[in-house]
Amino acid sequence: MHVPTTRRARLYVLAAAAAALAAAGLSASDLPDRWWKPGEGRVMQESTDYPNAAGSLRVLLVDGPMETRGHPFFEPLGTNGRACVTCHQPSDAMSLSLDSIRRQWDLRGHHDPLFAAFDGSNCPDLPQERRESHSLLLDHGLIRIARPWPPRDHDGSPIETDFEIEVVRDPTGCNLSDRWGLNAPEPMVSVYRRPRPVANFKYILAMGFAVDPKRSQPLPIDPETGQMTSGNLMADRRVLTLEAQARDAALTHLEFKGRLSEEDIARITDFEQRVYAAQQTSRIGGDLDAGGATGGPATLRDSPAGRLGSQGVPVWSEFNAWADAGKDASLTPGQRAWRESVARGAQNFRERMFLISDTTGINSPMGFGNPVLDRCAFCHNMSQMGMDVAPGQVDLGTTTRPFADPQPHLPLFRITCTGEPHPHYGRVIETHDPGFALTTGRCADVGKITLQSLRGLAARAPYFSNGSAKTLREVIEYYDRRYNIGYSEQEIQDLVHLMEAL
Amino acid sequence: MSAFAPLRALAAALALGLALPACATPAAPAAPAAPETSPELRFVTCPVYRNTDAGRKSGCWLADSPEDGLRYDVTRSPTKPDWNRAVLVEGRVSAGQADTCGGIVLEPVRVSVLAQACPRAMLPAQGYPGVRFQLPARNIRPIHEPREQPARPYAERTFGVWFDHGRDFIVYQLSDYFTHMASLYALDIDASRVEITGWSVTTPETVSGHVLVEDAMLARRRADAVANWLRMMGVPAERIVVKVAHDGSTSTLEGSDGLLSPSRRRVEVRVIP
Repeated sequence: MHVPTTRRARLYVLAAAAAALAAAGLSASDLPDRWWKPGEGRVMQESTDYPNAAGSLRVLLVDGPMETRGHPFFEPLGTNGRACVTCHQPSDAMSLSLDSIRRQWDLRGHHDPLFAAFDGSNCPDLPQERRESHSLLLDHGLIRIARPWPPRDHDGSPIETDFEIEVVRDPTGCNLSDRWGLNAPEPMVSVYRRPRPVANFKYILAMGFAVDPKRSQPLPIDPETGQMTSGNLMADRRVLTLEAQARDAALTHLEFKGRLSEEDIARITDFEQRVYAAQQTSRIGGDLDAGGATGGPATLRDSPAGRLGSQGVPVWSEFNAWADAGKDASLTPGQRAWRESVARGAQNFRERMFLISDTTGINSPMGFGNPVLDRCAFCHNMSQMGMDVAPGQVDLGTTTRPFADPQPHLPLFRITCTGEPHPHYGRVIETHDPGFALTTGRCADVGKITLQSLRGLAARAPYFSNGSAKTLREVIEYYDRRYNIGYSEQEIQDLVHLMEAL
Repeated sequence: MSAFAPLRALAAALALGLALPACATPAAPAAPAAPETSPELRFVTCPVYRNTDAGRKSGCWLADSPEDGLRYDVTRSPTKPDWNRAVLVEGRVSAGQADTCGGIVLEPVRVSVLAQACPRAMLPAQGYPGVRFQLPARNIRPIHEPREQPARPYAERTFGVWFDHGRDFIVYQLSDYFTHMASLYALDIDASRVEITGWSVTTPETVSGHVLVEDAMLARRRADAVANWLRMMGVPAERIVVKVAHDGSTSTLEGSDGLLSPSRRRVEVRVIP
């Protein structure tokens, strides 16, 4: 269900919608009209709220409303019936939640373009009518990403790599496929990743500093324009601009034959840069921009982007005022407790120290030391967004052994470094997704995944690039295990509440 | 210390005609004090991490010298150790710095992480407070901050870029600062020529029983890394000349901080108006 809003009518509409759904014995997620079908020609409003389990998400469209009929973001441009919006749903913070994926399967099965054989199934070779052929999408929210091997430069030239890759385990069959795998005429490595949100790009494209300290050089240069870029696009930074991303996505995800026109690219990127998405209300705590707090997407829309929280507006200080929520007699006890919890979570995010070790992009190659004592906001350092102001390619270990949780459903690759060994893993590495190394060809980049926006999280489970955390609590628990933090139950709850409020 | 000591220091400063800073943030990077009388120590050892907590980046790094048997605090090095690897320590004993980590404070100090494996060693805080993090003065500023333009007439300037042993990585919050300053200066004055010379130390040296020697190609890779930085910042490639040298003399350019041995591993960027 989508709910066009004005400030005055918002609460009434939400309450009325919830009551109507409850009376019908439905939850909001049961209604098909949350789903934007390709080419259906709706009008996208300037402000739309989408209920979710934690409250509601708000999507803002600057200079909206906008007629989407004929708009290349919303039209099925390619041969498989998908549009960009298929995997970047407004109700899911412009990403794609597991709930939405399953709902579409229940409604239309493999006939829905979302489940296109090319990347909406585990491998195009598989019988497409079977559920198990789409299990990575249906069970983990993962889209197949096929990367050329060896990696290619922007002009298509192969990059000289300092590692070799072989397949250890291939549950999808795609990496050993004669047509799609490493031994195919055009060798490919298939990895499986979550779609990233197409929103809040002012921040994702922002350049806070001219330098990428993780690579000890200036920010990456777009080969087409010669201009510096943020280096924060895509999990593996395989493209540097929205224009290049649109072309790449059209060729692959939409199976568009040919080349997008400059006009279509301009319309797509213009739209993408006008969309802001963030949680707006909490089911328990009420409006996230009430009681002195400044949560919600309007703050994102109106704030300068790319600023370092430690030198300006502290990360998640939007919720500082709620530290005193206990004194607000107008709130229910539940609201007070929840708001105080969010404020504690924000403080914890900024101040709770733990030892970070054996993590490329943090402990190497910069000189921070291994280990280094710091906090969540060390890397999640951008005001209002919690991304990394510097290009955020970091190896948390979510995709690479021994830190990754067991993931029997994913392929496993053995990487053998032929030059310098990896600074933390050594010469031989086992990984489900080499990440940034599939772009650079460098062993030291194995497992690095670009940090992403922390906004709209409640609308787009599961989490991490490989969907390995089904809930926000599982995200916190992964960090707790990975870095032996020792969070208390109260700390976990506070951090979960904070993330639900983003 | 007497309660009047700060006042005496203030009076002494005023008597010397020293201006007091308007705020705590230094306007220009200042090199750490390097007492002339303190010898430059150089040794290889396995590092020890002390798990102190005075906020972010406040853990202590200790290194025991095989030469004199003493424990040194190397926390102030721009490059911190990796607890899995041996380190080359090069530094001078700091005069008058309190022991907050459980070691004799070295400052200035440089740490190079070596390939040799070490067992992880971590000590509890044991009452030591650690070193509270302060943003180093040599940090690259955000793009959105206004920047002063150099005054005319433009002068030829030479910048030193300093490297850890065996590496061509431009050291964070030390060498990146000077590389960036060089690139901005070259752009600001529309430099007619930029000469970049790289050095490596290719004659073997024995330190704490370890033979240290750098690859002859490292000088080139260091110079190329700096040249690439300038090109990516927009300095025209045709105005950049890259040269290579080996086993050069020491340098006292800004950023060497009076440490002679590390200064041999450098790149010099000569910016000519």
